[in-house]
Amino acid sequence: MGQLIFNGLVTGLLIALPALSLALVFSVLRFANYAIGSMLTVGAYLVYAFNAGLGWPLPLAALAGGAVGAGLALAIDRLVYEPLKGRGGVTLLVASIGVGIALENAVRFIAGSSTRGFAVEVARPLRLHGLRINQEQITTIATVLLALAVVWIVFRFTRLGRAMRAVADNADLAAVRGIPRRQVVCAVWVISSVLATLAGVLVGLDGNVDPQMGWNYILPVFTAAILGGIGNPMAAVAGAVVLGITEELATLVLAPHYRTMVAFAVMALLLLVRPTGLFAAQGTAK
Amino acid sequence: MISYVAATLVLVAIATIAGLALNLQWGLGGLVNFGLFGFYMLGAYVCALLDTKGVPPLAAMAAAIVVTAAVSAAVSLISVRLSEDYLAIVTLGFAECVRLFISYEEWLTRGTLGVPGIVRPFAGSVPPEWSDAVFLAFAYAWLALVFLLLRKITRAPFGRLVRATRDDATVAEALGKNVLAVRAKVFAIGGALLGVAGSLHAFHYSYIDPTQFSTTLNAYAFMAVIIGGRGSHLGVLIAGFTVILLLEGSRFLADVIPFLDGAQLAALRLFLVGAGLVAILIFKPDGLVREYRLRSGAS
Repeated sequence: MGQLIFNGLVTGLLIALPALSLALVFSVLRFANYAIGSMLTVGAYLVYAFNAGLGWPLPLAALAGGAVGAGLALAIDRLVYEPLKGRGGVTLLVASIGVGIALENAVRFIAGSSTRGFAVEVARPLRLHGLRINQEQITTIATVLLALAVVWIVFRFTRLGRAMRAVADNADLAAVRGIPRRQVVCAVWVISSVLATLAGVLVGLDGNVDPQMGWNYILPVFTAAILGGIGNPMAAVAGAVVLGITEELATLVLAPHYRTMVAFAVMALLLLVRPTGLFAAQGTAK
Repeated sequence: MISYVAATLVLVAIATIAGLALNLQWGLGGLVNFGLFGFYMLGAYVCALLDTKGVPPLAAMAAAIVVTAAVSAAVSLISVRLSEDYLAIVTLGFAECVRLFISYEEWLTRGTLGVPGIVRPFAGSVPPEWSDAVFLAFAYAWLALVFLLLRKITRAPFGRLVRATRDDATVAEALGKNVLAVRAKVFAIGGALLGVAGSLHAFHYSYIDPTQFSTTLNAYAFMAVIIGGRGSHLGVLIAGFTVILLLEGSRFLADVIPFLDGAQLAALRLFLVGAGLVAILIFKPDGLVREYRLRSGAS
């Protein structure tokens, strides 16, 4: 039981990064980014290229991959989302579906469909008060907490973070007050893609690197973001942890390959009962 | 060669029917169905499983249509009250669940082994050498029927109501229309059409397994709708024939471009679909053919 909750916590933290990334983009750019799964995949492959291709150690490779991924995200924004600005959330959503398909198949085209793994040493799991803790789980917890802390500090205490919150709150008012929307959007894409890349690395450490990897996470990521109340970045993290633990506890009664169904059931129930998310403040307008 | 062309033409008809279904749901009704392939897969499996149990093919197909329509309506009710973003993820989630269920519940669906020996309609009454030709005609008869049905629906008062709920749900509601019911109906009709497409898929291959159903169908359908012009069935028909024929026909390129293998070509094709989707949204957002409008007396 304790083991399940611990595993669920780690799974939840893993989902938290892309869920935060999704909610961040949603809150500022006002569309559901279906390319989030492909961004995760592309990030994992970029890091893989630096790690296994050039032989760099994983942390360094992750930094380099994150930088290239951020550049890619900015280029995609310039080419796709910026020209479509103001055309409504659904148009952007469908565009992001197109971007997702293109990215995933670019990966397939260049790297092939076979599964790969990062060049890391296999370590023996730790035992602590009867809990089995893998090396990857420690890496996941540390990375995610660090990333979340950085994003939270940026969001809470910097000029940029304040600008982001202002645009998310009311874009027109922010524009009137002279907040440069373009800079905020670029910053959002950089943070979002770095988070997706980190998530890709952690997913790849946990399992394999393959072109489908991001796609498999789309549903849990969206569910987590909706749990938190989409467009509410930090609550998405809490939503992810709740979802992770629920998924893990559900393995007591359901076969493990039905995790996706658990995520779907949680989402369906939530949308029927409390579509504003578990943690949304009651009574706030819009 | 002839059989290859015939097979491609059948696939084009199936994908175009799926495109028309999406055009009803998204183009006309404004409801993004990102789980198209799940409903399609459900239709194919219901039809195939009944068919191989000895139910007459046409009856199996009818059952598949009824089941997908009912399930579509039920799925849409989870989120039609909310904005489109939610419907997209709910339908996608549903599709993934269908795929998981079919892949793992071996007692019912034989899992990854697939369902072999699906009998086509009229198999008993036509000689085997005519089987493909008869089935081609059958598929195109369905395509024609679906197209005419959708045109009828679109030009009827119900079609006007659907467009009204898409353009401004609040106004439609204020005029006393039941927006929720309209949306569920639109989703159910679209689901029925996906049941048609899925059944045709099962008959065409006469063997189905979970790997045949992927998001490629989604990509084709969205491509057809966006290029054709949202809301225009004629546009979707034209786009289906040009674009999907082109994409399916590009399998030939494997013989012409020796340095790319089959998997790379498939990836390249889907990459172009994705990039093309975005390009059309940016440069030609209205598509080829404009949506049908009632002409007012003055103009």
